Amino acid sequence: MKKQLSLLLAAGMTAGLLAGCGGSTSSTATESTASSTSSAATGETSGDNLSADITMWTYPIGQFSDADTVNSIITKFQESHPGINVTVEYLDYTNGDDQVTAAIEAGTTPDIVMEGPERLVSNWGAKGKMLDLSDLWTEDAVADISATSQAVVNACKGADGNYYEYPLCMTTHTMAINKEMFEAADALQYINEDGTWTTENFEKALQALKDSGVDTTMIVYCGGQGGDQGTRALVNNLYSGQFTNADHTAYTTDSDANKKALQQLLDWSNEGLISYDAAAQASDELQLFANGTVAMTLCWNASNQAQYASSVTFTPMAVAFPSDDGVPELCGGIWGFGIFDNGDDTKAAAAKEFIKFLCDDPEQGPESVRLTGFFPVRSSFGDVYTGTEDEDRMAQFSSFMQYLGDYYPVTAGWAEQRTAWWNMLQQIFTGTSVDDAVATYTTTSNDALAAAAA
Amino acid sequence: MASKTKATPAAGGEVLTYNKGTFRNSALVRQQTLAAYLFLLPALFFFVLFVVVPMVMCLVTSFFDYRMGKPLTFVGLNQYIKMFQDPTFLKALVNTFILVIVAVPTVTAFSLWVSSVVYKFSAFKRSFFRCIFYLPVVTGTVAVAVVWKWMFNKYTGLINYVLSATGVIDQNISWLGDARFALGCIILILFTTSIGQPIVLYIAALGNVDPSLIDAAEVDGANNFQVFWHIKWPQIMPTTLYILVITTINTFQCYALIQLLTSGGPNHATDTIMYYIYYQAFKLNDYGYGDAMGVILAIIIAVLSAIQFKVAGSGSGD
Repeated sequence: MKKQLSLLLAAGMTAGLLAGCGGSTSSTATESTASSTSSAATGETSGDNLSADITMWTYPIGQFSDADTVNSIITKFQESHPGINVTVEYLDYTNGDDQVTAAIEAGTTPDIVMEGPERLVSNWGAKGKMLDLSDLWTEDAVADISATSQAVVNACKGADGNYYEYPLCMTTHTMAINKEMFEAADALQYINEDGTWTTENFEKALQALKDSGVDTTMIVYCGGQGGDQGTRALVNNLYSGQFTNADHTAYTTDSDANKKALQQLLDWSNEGLISYDAAAQASDELQLFANGTVAMTLCWNASNQAQYASSVTFTPMAVAFPSDDGVPELCGGIWGFGIFDNGDDTKAAAAKEFIKFLCDDPEQGPESVRLTGFFPVRSSFGDVYTGTEDEDRMAQFSSFMQYLGDYYPVTAGWAEQRTAWWNMLQQIFTGTSVDDAVATYTTTSNDALAAAAA
Repeated sequence: MASKTKATPAAGGEVLTYNKGTFRNSALVRQQTLAAYLFLLPALFFFVLFVVVPMVMCLVTSFFDYRMGKPLTFVGLNQYIKMFQDPTFLKALVNTFILVIVAVPTVTAFSLWVSSVVYKFSAFKRSFFRCIFYLPVVTGTVAVAVVWKWMFNKYTGLINYVLSATGVIDQNISWLGDARFALGCIILILFTTSIGQPIVLYIAALGNVDPSLIDAAEVDGANNFQVFWHIKWPQIMPTTLYILVITTINTFQCYALIQLLTSGGPNHATDTIMYYIYYQAFKLNDYGYGDAMGVILAIIIAVLSAIQFKVAGSGSGD
């Protein structure tokens, strides 16, 4: 009797468990069906009467990482699109890529993702995971964005001619100096009023800082890929090298100009004018800059300035990367939206409506840009910071937009290149000759580029 | 078929025999077996779904060129051949073995040493030390890594500060950024985060050693080493075996510290197999290659665990 009871109990527990699983499956299926029936019943795949539940994943881009801010945008959006519900998940740069990769493999990608062309276009877009957004790129939009920068339009377009990103904002990445430290070393004289300087004057400034007793003038950080645009921009600008060729079909770090720049950095390091740290990434270097340990940072932009403004006890002054001719080519950052190809036309249409609201709406568009802390890609938006408390701060960075260089992070094999880059720097600063380290880097990167293009 | 018989002494010393076939109802056995399987079923279901199936998938996909956005192509053993021609993998393999060879014996020996002192304390003091040594285990890896990263910082780190202040070094060292020290630093951190569980287990195991055996040995004139070697060591051997196997597996799977502290650098000095698997699979989306490395890692761990069972098992048999 006892055994029979046990048997019954076990059977009951198992059945309950299975029922639980089954119930869940069944309920999901029902929800899914209901949703699709509802969409089908309304027959609305465009316009304000769309009905769909969509999801958006966003990387931490300005206040788009803040749930309250994003929820308030969604509330405004739903006033005109009451049938579209938007659920947001907030990623970070530490494991956001892993989450997206896992979602792609599991077939559970969100509808919208907010990031830049290096991910949306050259990674997921090139791998066929994103929807073509050409219909959002109307002639007006192309003209408006081109008027700001043709590089933005090019960056959002894949090698197949499809647009995989609809951009919202952009910025240039700069350096920053500790103004008081430079003043004390009488090194400000080497920087032009517009924030540019030559390689020759940069060296003089390093020497002046060193002579004035500054222990750590600048750090070539290479502990990982975080903030690597800083070291890339430094190397490329010192002697006007290019990171890739014009059509992004080859990495050109092995050019004489780039090798000369790398050798120069090594020489400065050996002379004690700069430091090298294979354990530091940009975040570590920024922290050291913020606490006054190091005199300058290679990883600065308007967003960083806003973030660190309240915590620093000195004046962080944005400056361009030094270049031999005094005319820098700065790395840009472009952020916008892409839509994963989830095979649901209704959701895709709803996602496009939300993106249009965020980027193109006459009121929400400029507001969205302000929330990112960067600059609009649409020239028609004008200066979105006029009359705001950020006006002065942003004007400083706005002056650097004229130096925006080629947006090369859309080059194929980008992920492999990033690791190879900081590995190359580590090799150079630990004894490998510049020629050998650069040769290894170039081979690795161009092999990856060829494999990705195949 | 002849049924088995078994002799059992009755209370009065009379030997009774019973026929198994007579007293055991085969239907009842079936019911019992079925009940056992039904109780196992829920756990088995999840084990198969989340452990066995991924393992099999990992094995299968290791024979394919499996990358995001590319068609799945059967490549036979190419991934395995590529692996042993990949200098970064070989470097990671060597680094992983160094970690295991240094960390596992050190953790085991240190834990045993500390436990052999702590288990003799009063209950209060024993609990206190157990807590202290277990703290790094319950503290999140990220928090531990952040603290160590600060201590090893070249510019503002505690270690450089102390060594400079005491005149040991005249120039700050980038502990995690210098190939001469980086792996040693990782081993040190791994050591501090790994000793908690072995210490708690050893304290419990030593506390369970029969004191009458120790008393008897001491009465017979055995010294401390002889008591440990002939009385305690055999009795704590199962615990030692468990600690060895678990620590070996955990060390082989060292990933989080590398990801948080060095990203495998400098110059691959701290690359481990687990980190390289992550890099290939999640950064480069080359799942097939990552899976092949995962298979090799599993084989290495299985073989080493089997050896440990064999060696320690025969030791406990003595």
